[in-house]
Amino acid sequence: MTALTLAIPSKGRLKEDCDAYFADAGARLKQRAGARGYRATLNGFGDIDVMLLSASEIAQSLLAGDVHLGITGEDLLREAAPELEGRVHLVRPLGFGFANVVVAVPQYWIDVSTMADLDDVCAAFAHRHRRRLRIATKYVQLTRGFFARMGISDYRIVESAGATEGAPAAGTAEAIVDITTTGATLDANGLKQLEDGTILESQAQLAASLAADWSENARRAAENLLGRLHARARARSSQIMRVRLNGQAERILATLAQTADAGVLSRPTDENGEYSLLVPRARLMDAIASLRAAGCEAPATTQDADYVFDTANPLYAALAEKLP
Amino acid sequence: MAAFPYSDAAAIAALNGQAEAILSVFAARGYARAEPSVLQPADIFLDRSGEEIRRRTFTLTELSGRELCLRPDLTIPICKQVADSCPRLPARICYNGLVFRHQPNQPQRPTQFYQAGVELLGLEDRAAGDREILTIAVEALRAAGLEDFTIKIGDLALFGALVDALDVPSQWRARLKRHFWRVGYFEALLSRLTSGAASDQQRLLGSLGGLTASESRAAIEGLMDMVADAPQGARTREEIVERLMEQAADAAALRLDPKIAHVITSLLAISGNAEAGIAEIRKLTAGAGIALDAPLKAMEQRLAALAGLGVAPSQVSFVARFGRNMEYYTGFVFELWAQDAEGPVQIAGGGRYDSLLETLGAPKPISAVGVAIRTERLLAARRAQDDKAGDAP
Repeated sequence: MTALTLAIPSKGRLKEDCDAYFADAGARLKQRAGARGYRATLNGFGDIDVMLLSASEIAQSLLAGDVHLGITGEDLLREAAPELEGRVHLVRPLGFGFANVVVAVPQYWIDVSTMADLDDVCAAFAHRHRRRLRIATKYVQLTRGFFARMGISDYRIVESAGATEGAPAAGTAEAIVDITTTGATLDANGLKQLEDGTILESQAQLAASLAADWSENARRAAENLLGRLHARARARSSQIMRVRLNGQAERILATLAQTADAGVLSRPTDENGEYSLLVPRARLMDAIASLRAAGCEAPATTQDADYVFDTANPLYAALAEKLP
Repeated sequence: MAAFPYSDAAAIAALNGQAEAILSVFAARGYARAEPSVLQPADIFLDRSGEEIRRRTFTLTELSGRELCLRPDLTIPICKQVADSCPRLPARICYNGLVFRHQPNQPQRPTQFYQAGVELLGLEDRAAGDREILTIAVEALRAAGLEDFTIKIGDLALFGALVDALDVPSQWRARLKRHFWRVGYFEALLSRLTSGAASDQQRLLGSLGGLTASESRAAIEGLMDMVADAPQGARTREEIVERLMEQAADAAALRLDPKIAHVITSLLAISGNAEAGIAEIRKLTAGAGIALDAPLKAMEQRLAALAGLGVAPSQVSFVARFGRNMEYYTGFVFELWAQDAEGPVQIAGGGRYDSLLETLGAPKPISAVGVAIRTERLLAARRAQDDKAGDAP
């Protein structure tokens, strides 16, 4: 009997990134035989049922409470519900699936580089052409909200099902709102982003539905999974440093905490033993510099950890606070 | 504001009785009843009204694929009919019917409600038109038995005249006029204009600033030739060149004088007793050497008309920033407010939309002024007024 449902994208780059993300945390995804490929299990988490859905279905399922946890693009979540507050909790951005939702106009419009220009042009266009300037997009809600914040009202949205970037060339719209990563597709279609036209900087999010049925068992399953993911993330971003601190150990430890955000994992049983510290990877050289400045000449060695577990489980704690 | 109890026979009878009383006021003033269809072609609303009305419009698709909508108001269908048929003007048309609007994020608000109203189209004497519409609005409320109401008035033309009198580039004028009613956004716009925050293209314009007109044109056309393969987005080459030429001519004045910004913000802050407000505008503009005589005189005439109707000055307020957030208003605007059992409620709204008929396809400009009354709210307010009178010792 599974306690918690986790939805992940069923195909494409996002699916591969999710597979790699869980595998890295020692929880390999295994598609269940006979289930025609839309169900899977997560190695080591027998009480979690994995559903493979399209990224936009995942956003809908999270909002509807059909799944407890899901991975999907923040763009799709915010499009499905402009007010996520109270409905979906963003557990953690995952560092992949980057895409910006942007406003783009024809490069031919050399007089337009900001939203204020677009505002002028929309008003002049409505007057001159006797119709509203059309914006093609599949992000109807995000576009409406952003244009309203930018004070633009003389436009009309044309919903687009796919290949939005081709709409201006095809003559079905004058400008677009779409996702872009490098801008190459926009460029190839003779379009350019507006300087202040970034609506959302999106990436894949691990998200929790606040509308799902959070039984005790579901909570425990989420606590385990999020605890593991957090422990793995900490291990990846830090290294364990071993070093002898002869004399004045407490003063040096205090300095290290301050200059390199280093925490003590364990202390030696005798005076000459090694201290074991957890140091963020990015601060490693700061830690070494502090040690040397404090007169510590002992060699320091570092190594990777697979996981760093401690009693805190901040990802779950933040979720538990939001759950009813 | 709860939905009207459409299955309560007594409530329906009261609403119908009130409608009869209002419609006879309209008829006595020579207004002919129109009944536009509930299902309207979607494009006239979606193309003319912009996203704000679009997001509140129920749309549906005919089997043929034609997009239809449930009318979100009656003004646009009536004006469209007049624009198409070119009847003898002035035309006086009235209506009473249901309109339909999505209420995103406000599930407590009704998605359908009655509006009774009038449209006065093509009357050249605008002061007379404003007076006639104010009179009908007040008479209609009184015919429904409501005496306790207040009137909020404003005039987009006042702010327009102020901006036109300022020494600022024409595109800024258009921007200021377009956005003056948006609280917050407008202040940010003003501070951008006074600080002169520059974009790439403004830097381009700065470099064009030193050139003669023909040199600028050649430089702009050179830039356009480099992007000749990009989609044009329905804008002509001339349209783009013209806008840049105009901006280049303005490039010398890329900052708004803070003194001018101060006059603008002071004027927009005026709100309250109407006569005092008008006097304050006179003082403010005289101090800045700006003459707004015509729109101020028009406003005084409207106040005189209200006084002539026996509306007490304490019932009338003037709000400089009031522009109504419907996008087709062009000048004089007003709202009538009263109290229902829960608190203040807007009973009616109206004003001038002199450019609407032309955008709907009329061959020439046709002036337009009108008012729409939310009859279900009016009934609730009258009942609250009667209850209050009943409670009095």
